[in-house]
Amino acid sequence: MIRGLSRIVSNVVVAACLAIGFLIVQPAGAEEKPKASAPAEEETQASSSVSAPLVKGTLPADDPTAAVWSSAPMATFPMSPQVHWPTRNLEATVKDMIVRGLHDGTNVAILLEYADPTEDPDDAAAIQFMVGDKKAHFAHGQPMAQVEGGPVNIWYWKNKDGKGVDMNAKGFGTLKIQDHQDVKAKGAYANGRWKVVFSRPLDTGHPEEDTQITTAGFINIGFAAWDGKKDPSSGELKEKGSQKAVSSWWYFRAEAPPDYTGYYYAAIAVVLALGFQFVLIRKLKKGQSA
Amino acid sequence: MGPLIKLILLNVITYLILKFVVPNIPGSAPLPASLMFLYLLLVTAGFLILATVSAESKEEFWGPIQRFLTGESIGGLQALRYLVLILFPLLVGWQTYNSTAVSDAPPGENRTIHPAPPGEYAGLSNPVPKTPDTIQQGKGFYAAFCSPCHGGNFDGKGSAARGFNPPPANFADPTTIAMLQESYLFWRIKKGGVGLPIEGMPWKSAMPRWELELPDEWIWKIIMGEYDGAHQSPRTWE
Repeated sequence: MIRGLSRIVSNVVVAACLAIGFLIVQPAGAEEKPKASAPAEEETQASSSVSAPLVKGTLPADDPTAAVWSSAPMATFPMSPQVHWPTRNLEATVKDMIVRGLHDGTNVAILLEYADPTEDPDDAAAIQFMVGDKKAHFAHGQPMAQVEGGPVNIWYWKNKDGKGVDMNAKGFGTLKIQDHQDVKAKGAYANGRWKVVFSRPLDTGHPEEDTQITTAGFINIGFAAWDGKKDPSSGELKEKGSQKAVSSWWYFRAEAPPDYTGYYYAAIAVVLALGFQFVLIRKLKKGQSA
Repeated sequence: MGPLIKLILLNVITYLILKFVVPNIPGSAPLPASLMFLYLLLVTAGFLILATVSAESKEEFWGPIQRFLTGESIGGLQALRYLVLILFPLLVGWQTYNSTAVSDAPPGENRTIHPAPPGEYAGLSNPVPKTPDTIQQGKGFYAAFCSPCHGGNFDGKGSAARGFNPPPANFADPTTIAMLQESYLFWRIKKGGVGLPIEGMPWKSAMPRWELELPDEWIWKIIMGEYDGAHQSPRTWE
């Protein structure tokens, strides 16, 4: 009787070991992996984030046509004319913004690419970020009625100026060029397409004005482009100021350096599984000889 | 049939039922993999308890496993045994590695589409008399100010809509203005996207704050034109 009982107990122990073994094996497989979201029908090409990998060599901070850009994943964002605030426009030249990012651990470079049929001195492009923890409205950080908003940080480039400008705004009409200019920009026009690269240190030391980029997570990012074409008869610019193509808020992140902890955990799991097998077989052998 | 085969069969059948039969029961939905795993684990645990209640059933269950893992001279099965002993730890390691992989997905967003309006807007009624004339005027204003985003067909597919996230509301959809009172639309048009409370994520909305550009009377007319054009009726409390 007691012998039988002890056998049952030992069996239960073995069964428990098996179950634990199973548990080690399974949770990973059982976990829901976020599926590559199937794009909705009307927005077949839309992305929701830009992921900037860490480059090993030199960051193409002032070279919009560098070969290394092809190693950065491409994100495409639809653009709309700026309608939120007058003076609005109901049609804008730029329909899609293709965005790539790279960083080298110290500086980040973001490449904008878009179709514009003509190269004009007043062609311009910009990237916008939220600053700090406060949410900012995507239209220049417009004041919100029920939410206390923060400022936006705008990186601006215009063809004829050939440089990057680092700015802040908290609502239309409040655009201000910063005292400390951290942003560089360079454009290249070819085959009806602009490629404009913006670069900046990841951390500028001015968290009140500049968005600080870490490898910790996603930050909000938006885009704008102006077609600086002049009307042949009136000489008016087609797009200027608040008349531009804009995107909504999307996400950006600088990828963390490769993380090898997954391999360590896997190695520990393999050792545990081997140990489990060893104990199990020993136990079974003992059972046989008994 | 050996008990081990029975256990495997039982698990396979349970899996097939959970995977293909349960989701098809009316009112049901596909089960998450973690829940399916839990059910299979329960099946296995139950089976193991049954298989080990007596010495005979225990021997019947464990005997073949024991012989496979530790028996001498099992012939061709010897190679299979080594294969299992090598593959099992590798499988465990692989699964562990997968489970620690960092997610590439940006943060999820839970935006409330129709948050509650401020109290002063609740119960306002449209002061403009509803006549073919005023409706027509409202449709004219709609065409001028709203249709670039919300579409000439009231379907949210205006030419300026493509870049905006959230997309402009589709008024022809029965879950938008048909569920709302006129006073709600009055608030949303007047105060725009920036007037939303925090759960409506006002920082993402492109909707202009029309109170700065249009008189209230025009807004009320636009509301009438919108319902009429989209073939919807305002929600009432009758």
